[in-house]
Amino acid sequence: MKWKKLLALGLGLCLSMGVLAGCGSDKGAGTGGKVLTIGDTTFNSSNEEPDVNPHNAYAGWACIRYGIGETLIKYSDNMEIQPWLAVKWENVDELTWKFTLRDDVTFSSGRKLDAAAVKQCFTHLVENNKRAAQDLKIDSMEANGQELIIKTKEPKPALLNYLGDPYGCIIDVEAGFDKGIVAGTGPYIAVDMKTDDHLTLKKNDKYWGGMPKLDKITIRTITDGNTLSNALQSGEVQAAYGMAYESYPLFRNDKYNISQISTSRCFFGKMNFDPDSPCADPAVRQAIAMGIDKENFVAKLLDGNGFTANGVFPAGPAFGGDKVKAEKFDPEGAKQVLQAAGWVDTDGDGIREKNGKKLVIKWLTYPSRQELPLLAESAQATLKDIGMQVEVNNTADNNQVVKDAKAWDVYAMANVQAPTGDPEYWFTVFAVGTATKNQGKYHSAKLDALETQLSREFDPAKRAELALAMQQTVLDDHAFVFCSFLKMSMISKANVKNYTSHACDYYQVTADLDVE
Amino acid sequence: MSQAMAPTVRRQNVRQNHLQKKLYIWGGLALLLILAAFFSDYLCPYDPYVQDMSMTKAAPSAEHLLGTDRYGRDMLSRVIAGSKTSIYATLLLVSFITIFGSLVGIICAWTGKWLDTVLMRLSDMFLAFPGLVFALAVAAVLGGGVHNAIFALAAISWPKYARLARSQTLAQQAAVYMQAARMAGSSNFKLIRKHVIPNIAGPILVTAMLDIGTMMMELAGLSFLGLGAKPPVPEWGSMMSDTRNLLPTQPWVTLAPGFAIFISVMIFNLLGDTVRDYLDPKNRR
Repeated sequence: MKWKKLLALGLGLCLSMGVLAGCGSDKGAGTGGKVLTIGDTTFNSSNEEPDVNPHNAYAGWACIRYGIGETLIKYSDNMEIQPWLAVKWENVDELTWKFTLRDDVTFSSGRKLDAAAVKQCFTHLVENNKRAAQDLKIDSMEANGQELIIKTKEPKPALLNYLGDPYGCIIDVEAGFDKGIVAGTGPYIAVDMKTDDHLTLKKNDKYWGGMPKLDKITIRTITDGNTLSNALQSGEVQAAYGMAYESYPLFRNDKYNISQISTSRCFFGKMNFDPDSPCADPAVRQAIAMGIDKENFVAKLLDGNGFTANGVFPAGPAFGGDKVKAEKFDPEGAKQVLQAAGWVDTDGDGIREKNGKKLVIKWLTYPSRQELPLLAESAQATLKDIGMQVEVNNTADNNQVVKDAKAWDVYAMANVQAPTGDPEYWFTVFAVGTATKNQGKYHSAKLDALETQLSREFDPAKRAELALAMQQTVLDDHAFVFCSFLKMSMISKANVKNYTSHACDYYQVTADLDVE
Repeated sequence: MSQAMAPTVRRQNVRQNHLQKKLYIWGGLALLLILAAFFSDYLCPYDPYVQDMSMTKAAPSAEHLLGTDRYGRDMLSRVIAGSKTSIYATLLLVSFITIFGSLVGIICAWTGKWLDTVLMRLSDMFLAFPGLVFALAVAAVLGGGVHNAIFALAAISWPKYARLARSQTLAQQAAVYMQAARMAGSSNFKLIRKHVIPNIAGPILVTAMLDIGTMMMELAGLSFLGLGAKPPVPEWGSMMSDTRNLLPTQPWVTLAPGFAIFISVMIFNLLGDTVRDYLDPKNRR
């Protein structure tokens, strides 16, 4: 019996130790100063943000959003260009730009920011980022102390705007790119990162713009909107980006802050021009454009947190809003278009056929923007009414699937259309023949010719005119269907201060971000 | 002696009658569910696929007894239409694993030797994986859809029936009546058809009945995780998953399919229990 008593005593001791261990507090949390955890549905490889290296795909968005990197210029709330790391600049001639850099900035690696470091950064950028190389068209650079001279291969009126793009974050290339972590000049320093899981930041004690208020910030990738909502309610995260609009009623009270601003972030569908895709038929593209009920999508499925889209850009700038003519929701008109093009329902199953082929649309989208699947299901119903069968593929593997031209017909995605405040960006990324994101292989000689003019036009009024003509070209070809612009929102606990949305949808973490 | 036995016999009669009543009740309810699923097209008050954006997220009312979802679709109609997918998919799955697993078990017991060893080790391999995790992996490889979800669950569930049928068949093989039948010149096929299957059907049937509820839950689980039915097809698990964002604000949208799963699983589980008790020799005269 003695051994049984000893066994019982041992087990009891283990249990007590376990209970006591459970009662302990997280020492790091208790002694680590001010900490904040932010949940984000979009910081993931599915959104081409696998790390915080601005030279990698769209990871610059994470770099600038989380206060790691800064660009030469920044945008005001009205998307006007303001000095940031560059204090002034001069357009010496059509091909030459002279920048004067701040003299009081150091990278988190300890290196001083000077023109040589910026030159090194831009050289690495254009070597590694095709989109940046196409946008910037840098011919040569000269570094002299804090003065940087950039010469472009051709006139680049929008160069300043492009330098404000997140890929333009100035980083210390010599500090390396260890596991996607870079050394920037921002208020926070990335210290640890795991793709699609988390990013840990610590404050940059030597930040030139004043001492950051928080000691540590953790960005948690939470792709599921429902999980994010639960995490914010439970206090697991204290701030959230990318919350589903359906969850907003839970946070419209004194316990939370909601910072909301209209942006050019747009839900739109791009058509696949592959000869085997039904979208290669102009009538099908037109019918899709006429068959999506944008008004109800915005009013009911976005809960009014957006605006119906007409063209590429929202109302506001000279090149945006209803200055272009797009198809309206017109199911009867769409039926006539399809009928005239020979798409007829011969077997009475509600789906039209042509040459023995059923009108089936493969609709590709992804879940991290919470309302994209809702758009898909809404379009599925309205397009069925006009005789199209829509098969939805809602996958986080969208970036791989979209590379296979046979795997999709419409790719519905979310994008900030004018993050640089200039219209040229969208066309060079999505629409012109050489665009990096023109996976649907749309080609319009007219559009390409207009883009050539736009790329050399310095007069803002004429640039706006050209941008409108380009939008109309895209809309007349029904190469894209623009559904809605979003009011972007960030939600935080009431004690979190200065967690504020910006029109360009970056500048999320700043030195002023605080927890009381 | 006969006087002492009388109360026991009476008790058994009462119990048997009670079980019979339960069998009729749960069997009737299960039949009602199956019939409702079969005639769901006629029972739905509204088209379960048609969106009505003027009626989104409407609370339960006389017009829409279970309210509407975010697309304005009538939830009662969606739940009724969902029964076809959920119940028939489950019955198809359970039928498949019962028949396939039992056949494998009978073949193993009957032939023995290397085939028995190979098939049983194969079943061991399937049993070694955690059930739903393996089903998730299979469904993820095959892609979403009800058919693939059924296949994934079938892949992990047949070994149980194979083992049961094998052990039962081995017991029957050793029975004297079987030897007599064999000596009378019955062929293997006749022995299995006439003697083995009728004698092992009881326990297999009970297991199958008890599995219906479990399989319904697992199918709903796969659909909840996005590996079952695809929108806009109404299926209870995927309906719950699609609307879980709305649980705090419009709970009826999530609770309606959840309640349907609860009721159906409960009826099939209680029916399974009753069938088991009813076929138990201890409860028979």
